[in-house]
Amino acid sequence: MAHSEMSRAKRHLETTAKMKEMLPRFFMRMMERMFSNEPLAWCMVGVPPELLKAFDLLFEWPENFGTLCASKLVAPRFIEVAEGDGYSPELCSYVTNTMGYCKLFKETGEAPPESPLPGGMGTPAMLLGSGFICEPRWKWFQSIATRFYDVPVYSSDPLAPPWDIDPHDPRIEAHYLTLLREDLAGQIAFIEKHTGKKLDLDRLKEILALSHEALGYWRDTLALRKAVPTPMGSTDYFHAIIPQMYLVGDQEAVDFYREMYEEVKDRVERGVGIVEEEKYRLIWFGLPPWFNMGIFNYLESLGAVFAYESTYNVGDYFEVDLSDPLEAIVKRTWQRAVKMHEYGAETMPELCNPAVFGGFSGSNLLEELVNDFSLTGAVMHLTRSCRAVSFGEVHTRNRLAKIGVPSLIFESDMADPRHWSDAQIKTRLHAFLETMDKVSKGGAINDR
Amino acid sequence: MTADKKAAGSPKRAAEQSEESIRRLKADTKKPVIGYLCCFAPPEIISSAGAIPYRLTGQPGYDTSAADTYLEPYGCTYVRNILARAAEGKFDFLDGLIISHSCDMVQRLYGIWTYNHPLPYSYMFNVPHQVSPWGQRFFKRELGFFRESLEKFTGHQVTPDALKNTIATYNKNRSLIRELYLLRKEPLPLIEGSKMLELLIAGGSLAADDFAVLLKKTLNDAKQKEPPEADEKAPRIMVWGSIMDDPTLYRMIEDAGGKVVTDDTCIGFRVWEKDVPLTNDPYDGLTEHYFINFQCPRTDRGPGISRFDYLLERAREYNVDGVVGYSISFCDPHKFDYPDLRDYLKKEGLPMLLIDDNYSFEPAEAIKTRLQAFIEML
Repeated sequence: MAHSEMSRAKRHLETTAKMKEMLPRFFMRMMERMFSNEPLAWCMVGVPPELLKAFDLLFEWPENFGTLCASKLVAPRFIEVAEGDGYSPELCSYVTNTMGYCKLFKETGEAPPESPLPGGMGTPAMLLGSGFICEPRWKWFQSIATRFYDVPVYSSDPLAPPWDIDPHDPRIEAHYLTLLREDLAGQIAFIEKHTGKKLDLDRLKEILALSHEALGYWRDTLALRKAVPTPMGSTDYFHAIIPQMYLVGDQEAVDFYREMYEEVKDRVERGVGIVEEEKYRLIWFGLPPWFNMGIFNYLESLGAVFAYESTYNVGDYFEVDLSDPLEAIVKRTWQRAVKMHEYGAETMPELCNPAVFGGFSGSNLLEELVNDFSLTGAVMHLTRSCRAVSFGEVHTRNRLAKIGVPSLIFESDMADPRHWSDAQIKTRLHAFLETMDKVSKGGAINDR
Repeated sequence: MTADKKAAGSPKRAAEQSEESIRRLKADTKKPVIGYLCCFAPPEIISSAGAIPYRLTGQPGYDTSAADTYLEPYGCTYVRNILARAAEGKFDFLDGLIISHSCDMVQRLYGIWTYNHPLPYSYMFNVPHQVSPWGQRFFKRELGFFRESLEKFTGHQVTPDALKNTIATYNKNRSLIRELYLLRKEPLPLIEGSKMLELLIAGGSLAADDFAVLLKKTLNDAKQKEPPEADEKAPRIMVWGSIMDDPTLYRMIEDAGGKVVTDDTCIGFRVWEKDVPLTNDPYDGLTEHYFINFQCPRTDRGPGISRFDYLLERAREYNVDGVVGYSISFCDPHKFDYPDLRDYLKKEGLPMLLIDDNYSFEPAEAIKTRLQAFIEML
């Protein structure tokens, strides 16, 4: 399949360019350990990376592997294998990418040549899932362990109250905190059993301190994007989340995010934006099309920049008392859930909020964001295979329209470029920018 | 495409009959009607709180454009169907709404529905995904919060004894339904699968006692009548899959020469297979029934094909020749399980056909052709 319409992202920050050296170093370290047969855990976002670090456990993220396969345009190869096995094209393309990859790996006993990581994702000794974000995650590791790797699975089950339940009610708080605590204890007992290691709470405390320091810089960096012109765009944003998965808890991550903060701050002080003339300041909803991140640069060429992204956002970072590290993990999860309710979260599944990593929180937040980040429009990526993130965008569009902000919803996918229709999408983006021009002159919002 | 354009006709009747029935019941009893979706929030508690539980049903093939104002096109067609009808005021007889957190889609349906069209009472019943000890404890606590919210709305206290009595009443119906299912174990089933499903759909809009009367009458009639005209050698089919609240597919299977002798679907046997255990603390029994035992693929029962053992046992019990899977568009839990289940059944010598549908049973001819080919193969 030809993908001549796809373009790689051009990033604007020097700090993110350094990841080209930093991440391969990390992957090399990991591969060396894999070759010495240390147990490897495949994990899902939502599993606290700090916990993995505290166990000194080797880990890989199939979701991230999905984004890599997407960006290298090899995901369709794996997805088609999974579809041939009976997995519906409607299912999450991260999942079908993994299922196709696993099938090929098992058939040949080695990583398929298309794998963007040399040696592929390795062979898991355990699967650590998380039900946070969406439902396919429950079925994903269950299917992998049924069809390909007969290894133990633990899926954590973080629930939070629905949007119309008061999380400040002490009984409700106890109801949910009890589950979060017991579930975390179950997760730790599982890892202890299958690694033969005991969790070192002092080590976890140190890792959490480093993790929070790094994420604090990330939060502060995101806040700097309120500046006009915005000093950092989506291509840097989506790239810079990767160390949060692999390096959180390391000094290397603290240094990376501090440098990024300093660079962005310097750009703000010097009034350096990412485009010459910032005509449209946008908010991005949904997962990005990893196979065509150049679409952000394309919009920049038209004077449109994104100052805020709804996904992978840890702007709602919480200060927690680290003296009890397990309670700290539970409390940050809970505080995020509570904050979500304060903003109204009628269209977000409650599983979407509790974790350190992602999830746009609440539709009442929109007005605050629009004002704080001087936003004039919204672009929403309706991902066909990921309803968890995109189902609710119409509702969000309706809420934005009430405060005079126009939105565009366009359809494609996060990993499967077969759903990208370049001419159609670009035509719609152009038309949307024209709509924004009209709205800025007092026209009505009627774009759908 | 509108319902009026549909050839099947029956889909419209099934849903409309339920709605007519519940309106009558509401007028007769003056009790509030509380609609519920999915099978985790026990109707026994709703009933004990002095309200009428009403199992909301979709209307396959209904024009869902009224949902476009609120929902994306890429989403569960059943959820879109329900919301479209809610937006059009078709559920104006409801005093309350309960949606249990079975899947992501119905959960968002709850938020978007109650935000845009608030009802006097609404509750989202939260359900863990794992039947872990802590998941079970959470579920039981959630039952308590649910009861409290209902009591507050109806002003009617749910005492443990009253709840136990209601559970016992519902269990009698479960027992009658199992008796009716047994009639289909015969080489010539004494009641057709489509008739059985119609009966269960009708039960969702009846008071438990009235449902018992209907079940008993059907049971007596079936036992007294001659077996329906059918080929004894006609392949025996089990239906597995997404919500089945309309008998159209069953009729298609029957028209194609098959006999639906059992199922694993909501509204079908999943709900009625077992009694709610009559435990000293009724909430223990409800937890066991509605959480631990309830076989929705959205609940994680760990990896491995043993999670389908119950299905194989049922297939053997009912002497099933083949399985027809039914999957509604974007129904993640069932779509994920399909390859594992298909392979497991194949290994055990049971062929499986999957029907993907956008909750319309259309194009009917294409579905019928596939069913015919499958049944001929059997």
